[in-house]
Amino acid sequence: MSDRLLADWRQHALTLETEVNKVVVGQHNPVRLITIAIFARGHVLLEGDVGVGKTTLLRAFTRGIGGGYQRIEGTIDLMPNDLVYHTYLGEDGKPHVSAGPLLMSGENLSVFFFNEINRARPQVHSLLLRVMAERTLSAFNKEHTFPHMIVFADRNQVEKEETFEIPSAARDRFMMEIPIVVPNDDDIMSGLMFDTRFHNVDALIDTVKPDVLKFDELNAFSGVIQKSVEASKTLEKYALNLWKATRKPTDFGVKVTNVDMNRLVLAGASPRGMSMMLRAARVNAWLNERTAITPEDIHAVFHETVAHRLVFSPVYEMRRTEIAREMLSNIINAVAAP
Amino acid sequence: MTQLIKLYLLAIVLSVSIPAHALEYETLPDIKEGVVSIQLQEPERTVGYTVGDILTRHITLNIKKPYLLIDESLPIIGYERRYKGQLIGIDLSNIKHIKKESDNSVEHDLTLSYQVFTNNVVAKNGALPAEYLRIINTKTKEIVRYRIPSWDFAISPLSIFGAVKVESDMTGYRGPLLLDNSDEKQRLKILLSILGLSLLGLLYMLGKHTWLPKMGGPFAKTYRLIRKSPNTPQGLQDAVSSMHTSLNKTAGFSLFNGNLNQLFEQKPAFKQIESEINQFFGLSRQVFFEPNAKHTVGDTPIQWLAQFCRRCRDCERGLITDKQKVNKA
Repeated sequence: MSDRLLADWRQHALTLETEVNKVVVGQHNPVRLITIAIFARGHVLLEGDVGVGKTTLLRAFTRGIGGGYQRIEGTIDLMPNDLVYHTYLGEDGKPHVSAGPLLMSGENLSVFFFNEINRARPQVHSLLLRVMAERTLSAFNKEHTFPHMIVFADRNQVEKEETFEIPSAARDRFMMEIPIVVPNDDDIMSGLMFDTRFHNVDALIDTVKPDVLKFDELNAFSGVIQKSVEASKTLEKYALNLWKATRKPTDFGVKVTNVDMNRLVLAGASPRGMSMMLRAARVNAWLNERTAITPEDIHAVFHETVAHRLVFSPVYEMRRTEIAREMLSNIINAVAAP
Repeated sequence: MTQLIKLYLLAIVLSVSIPAHALEYETLPDIKEGVVSIQLQEPERTVGYTVGDILTRHITLNIKKPYLLIDESLPIIGYERRYKGQLIGIDLSNIKHIKKESDNSVEHDLTLSYQVFTNNVVAKNGALPAEYLRIINTKTKEIVRYRIPSWDFAISPLSIFGAVKVESDMTGYRGPLLLDNSDEKQRLKILLSILGLSLLGLLYMLGKHTWLPKMGGPFAKTYRLIRKSPNTPQGLQDAVSSMHTSLNKTAGFSLFNGNLNQLFEQKPAFKQIESEINQFFGLSRQVFFEPNAKHTVGDTPIQWLAQFCRRCRDCERGLITDKQKVNKA
C-alpha cells in the first residue's frame, strides 16, 4: 500500500514539475529543488536578480499544489502588524480592521512569499521567523495556525543600501537558499523576449493545471517519505563527515582560492541544517525512485541546504556566495563515500 | 793431412754454435720435485699461425722458499733460438714479470710473447721453446734449474700453391673449416631482442608488481587485493571500498556517479570503460547504500570487480587508449 502511495504521489510530483516547467522555462533545477522543499516541508530563500521569474515560479507552484497564496513586499517602513492586519476608514466613516496577508487565507495558506525580505526591518524578520518555526500566530485574542504554510522569501543580493541583512540565526530557519538565474540558452532567452505568452503572467499561470497536489495532505505524506526512505550506516558516516568538513574544512584538506582557511569559518552547518539536508535528500531519493539515500541525493541538495547556514569571518562576507560555493564543492570533492 | 782433418773438425765445431746459456744450464742439476708448481695458459689454438703472428703464453710459477728465482735467468727479448743448431724462427718479443711474495713462497706471473719469423710453402711444425730458469737455494747457495715446457703448434703458409681440395685435405694442422654465420648470429640477436621486449611487454601488461614505470598505480595494488578477497559480504564490501579509494586517488577527488565527466576530462582513457564504471557505482550503491537496489554485474561480483579493476589498471598504464586522441594523431 505504502509503495503504491509513494508511486502515485511521485507521479503527481513529476506532473507538477512538468506543469511548472511549461510556464517557467530554463529553470529545471530550481523547479526540482522547490518540489523537494514542498515535499520536505521546508521554507525557501530565493536568491536572484529582479525580473527573473521568481514570483511567476511561486504562483505556478501555488496553483499546482492548491491552497492560498499570499505575498508581501519588504520595505524599510514595513512593520510586523502589516503582516497581520491593516486598518482603514470604511464607507461608514468608521475605522475598520481587516486581516493582513498572513491571516487572509486562514489555515489554507500554502505559500507565503516575502519579496525582498532584506528590505524589511528586523522586527518584521522576527515575527516571520516565529511564524516559520511554529506555524502559529497570536492575533485578536486568538491563536491562528498555518499548518500547510511554506514561506518563500527573496532577497536582493546586489543592493545593500536601506537593507537589513538577515542574521545567521534567521537564515538557518530556511531549508534552502535557491539561486534563480537567467537561463544561458539563447533559444530560451529569445523566447522569453518574443513569445507573447510570457508577456501576460496571469494568463500564463492559468495554463498550469490546478490542484495537481492536495496541499492539506502534504504534511502527512511528507512523513511517509521520511519513514520509507532509509539511510545506511555508510551514508550516515558520509553525512557526518560532510558536516564536520563544514565546521573544520582544514581537517579534510579543503581549500578556497585566496582565502585563509584558518580564519574563514566561524560556524559550520547547524544540527537543524544537517537534519533539513537529510530530509531534502530523502525526498530527492524518492523522486528518483530510490528506497534509500545515496551520496548523489545529498549532493543534489548540499549547496542549497548548507551554503546559507555557514557563518564566515566578516572580512569574507562580501564574497560569501562564491566562497560558499567553492568551499562546498571542494568539500564534496574531499570527503569520500565509502 | 792430419792437420787438415784437425782444421776441418775445428771448423765444424765453430760452425755448430751452441748458446752459452744452454751450455750453462746443462751443467746444473734439476730442482727437486714439489718445490716449483706451474700453471700454463697457452694460446687458444694450435694451428693457423703464420709469419708475423704473435703468440702469448701466461705462466704462473710458485716457488717455495728458501728457493729463489734468479731474475737474470729469465729469457731475453730478441735472443735467437735454435733447435739442433738451426734457427727456429720464433723469438721472444715481449716479457712481463710480476712477482708476489708471501710467507712461504714467491709467485711469478710471466707473460711471454713470441713472434713467428719463419714460413713455409706447406704447414710445418713450430714450437714455443722450452725455457730454463735458474733457481738458488738461499740457505745452501746451491743453484738448480727448472724447465718450462715447450708448446707445439703448426705454422701455416701465407698462400697455397696449386689447386687444393679442402675436403680431401684432412691434415690435423688445419683447423676446422667454419662457415660464415655472422648473418645468422645477427638475426638471432635481433630475434632474441624482439622476444625479450615482447616478454617484457607481456610482463608489463600482466604483471602484478610495481617495478616498472606506471606499475605502482593505485589499481595495481587494488587488483592484488581484490584477487585475494574472500567471496563473502565483508570481502565484497572491502573490495568495493578499495576500488572507491583507487578511483578517488586516480581522479584526485572523491568520485561519484555525478562527477564522472570530471574524471573523463582529466583521464580520457577511462571514458572507454564508462559503462563499466557506471556498473561499478550500481554495485557500490547496492553494497553500501541501498540493499534493495539491483546491480548488473552478475552473480559473482568479486570476480567482476577483479576484471573491472584490471581494466582500470590497463587505463592507468595507458594500455587502453583514448580512441579520439588516436584518431586525431
